[in-house]
Amino acid sequence: MKKVLVGGLLIFALLFAVVASGCIGGQTQTPTGETKTETQVKTETKVETQVQEKVFIRFAGWSAGETEMKNYERMIKEFEQKNPTIGVKYEVITQMFHENILASFGAGVAPDVFYLDSSWAPIFIDKGALYPISDLADQSFIDKFYPFLLEPFKKNGKLYGLPKDWSMLALFYNKKLFEQAGLTKPPETWEELEEYAKIIADKTGKPGLAIYLGGFNRYVPVAVSNGAPKPWFEKPEDASWFDNPVVKETLAWYINLYKKGKIEREQQGLTPYVVAPGDVGAGWLGDAFGQQQVAMVISGNWMIPFLADQFPDFKYGEDWDIAPVPAGKSGRVTMAYTVILGINAKSEHPQEAWKFVEFLLGPEGQKELVVKAGQTLPSMKGFENDPDMWPQHRKTLSFKYDDMIVFLWGPKSGPLEGKFSDAMAAAMRGEMTIDEAIEVMKQVVQEELSS
Amino acid sequence: MFSSFSFYEKARNKEIVAGLSLISIAVILNIVFGYFAMMFALYLSFFKWDYIGEMQFVGLKNFEIVIRDLIRGLHGAPYLLSPFYTGLKNILIYTAIVVPVQTFLAIVLAAFANQKIKGQQFFKVSYFLPATTSSVIVALIFIWLFMKNGFINFALAHIIPGFQPIDWINSREYLLLAIAIVAIWGTSGHFMVSFLAAMQAIPKEIYEAAMLDGAGPIRRFFFITIPMLRPMIVYVVVMGLIGALQMFDLAWVMAGANGGPGGAGYTVALDIYNEAFTRIRPGVAAAKSWFLFAIIFTTTYLFQKKYGRAMR
Repeated sequence: MKKVLVGGLLIFALLFAVVASGCIGGQTQTPTGETKTETQVKTETKVETQVQEKVFIRFAGWSAGETEMKNYERMIKEFEQKNPTIGVKYEVITQMFHENILASFGAGVAPDVFYLDSSWAPIFIDKGALYPISDLADQSFIDKFYPFLLEPFKKNGKLYGLPKDWSMLALFYNKKLFEQAGLTKPPETWEELEEYAKIIADKTGKPGLAIYLGGFNRYVPVAVSNGAPKPWFEKPEDASWFDNPVVKETLAWYINLYKKGKIEREQQGLTPYVVAPGDVGAGWLGDAFGQQQVAMVISGNWMIPFLADQFPDFKYGEDWDIAPVPAGKSGRVTMAYTVILGINAKSEHPQEAWKFVEFLLGPEGQKELVVKAGQTLPSMKGFENDPDMWPQHRKTLSFKYDDMIVFLWGPKSGPLEGKFSDAMAAAMRGEMTIDEAIEVMKQVVQEELSS
Repeated sequence: MFSSFSFYEKARNKEIVAGLSLISIAVILNIVFGYFAMMFALYLSFFKWDYIGEMQFVGLKNFEIVIRDLIRGLHGAPYLLSPFYTGLKNILIYTAIVVPVQTFLAIVLAAFANQKIKGQQFFKVSYFLPATTSSVIVALIFIWLFMKNGFINFALAHIIPGFQPIDWINSREYLLLAIAIVAIWGTSGHFMVSFLAAMQAIPKEIYEAAMLDGAGPIRRFFFITIPMLRPMIVYVVVMGLIGALQMFDLAWVMAGANGGPGGAGYTVALDIYNEAFTRIRPGVAAAKSWFLFAIIFTTTYLFQKKYGRAMR
């Protein structure tokens, strides 16, 4: 008889496990009054009617560190206090963010509000995954943002996202190494950049400039500042961008920076004047610059908090400084990198989601999350002279450029950037000629956009 | 009451109920995350999809894309234009290096660990330790060791006179070999345990009889230990093949998503990932997965058929 009981219990436990597992991942709209689930079947359900309906929205982002997470948690709490009927569930996805979001769309459980990098935006906009912000926001609110940051997120007269913050490229240079080499000011043009790098290598024994092997987005300012059109790949024929003589010339120059500055110099037994971060035992450009292994890098605002945090003895103003990206024959151009807060088109609560987005992106949110945090630049105008803004960031914002290119090459930005960079890296290492690399890049465009 | 009582009273029924309920969790999990996922992948391979919009039936087009990639690769296209071919070529070379070496090494390690020598427990533990460590962490440590001014080059320079340091991770020629070395280091200890168990199950009488006939330790190893280990060798090779052909983690960490310099560390599994999440073509990724499955299935099936039969 005992065994019967045990067997019965086992079956019951199993059934319970199956039922319980079915409950997980269900609707998140739980009434606030309910605190625990009763196992009895005869629970009364009348309690719910007395409780005020609270709407929950899910907000997903990646994290640039614990500080950012805590800042967001603080702001969410503040938002919930101001809007007692809206609850926000903050979900941090640390790795492969966009892949995760895509998969959650596939499974039908995408968050209501999520980060979206500019290079991924076209996929989401084209497929109708984003709720048009212009239907929710006042035009006066939209007008407060930098207009060039909004451009990539517009389609058919509608705006699909507002940037939460942004970064741009600038030239970071080591003042001490410049002094040792007898240089008094940062390079003004691309030719000067190479020339200065050479002088520094000869005089100080340290490479003048570090660039990435590949890195298509770092090359684009060179092309556009010398008169090439902005790269945009939407159909196979757009591969002709690479036939532009300016593109061919500047691409050869950029690839040769490494071929001549590193490979040939080493063959001659001289200090290389251009290196990749890995060549000096660094993980990325910021690391190479912070370790003072190289005198110059062109990188974004994300360098600034990294240097302050990792290399506190390497001081801004005394040891290193920021200058605008060098100019080409037809002007000065830099890259801008931005992330929007997108609202899920299938969200059940777009109004509440917008309220939350408006709070985070509004002046109050930007001040706390962007200006004071010091990681990036505010996407809203009017903070240029804010006393809370880090002086390094303020300086990058003060530079004048003829054009700002937002990191976006069309609907297939991600794979194109990766493959262009691979081809460029192969050419830099001398595994293929520059012409072969250009040919491969053209075929990649045709291949990616043909279907 | 009476009927249910008699139902449980029958010993056979009791066993069936207990057995079914005990295996049900494993079976349900396997069906949901194994067979359902597999069948969904097959279904997906006939569709064009971008996760967000509607699925669109395209017939065998996704498989055509894979075959076209293979043909292009055979005609010598650069790796950026024939990623699947590159991945397949790399993974076959990798498997050809890893599986024989790790099996051989595992037998040798097991033979040593099976000796009655002082401190053998220490050796057993230290051989097995890599198997308990996360492969990502192992790969990160090895990246460090494989650096141009890292420990491996330092050691080699001291052993081999006139040795020029190799930039393992950033070199087209050596990246795959470096990954293979890490894999061998990481898995040999794991399979050693299998061999050790099999060795300890070999009856002592056989060795005693051989000793009486005058067989030395080396002959005993080759004529008794190895033949008696045969079923275990087949098992280890099959498991090794399955693991090596779908290798992802080491390549992801050591070579990166794009396979490192010249795609030298690109694998089929990396390509499936990139297809699904970078190029947003889950249908093609599913088709490639089925290709990989077919390759793994045929190689292990052929191997089993040829060598697995002779089991006692």
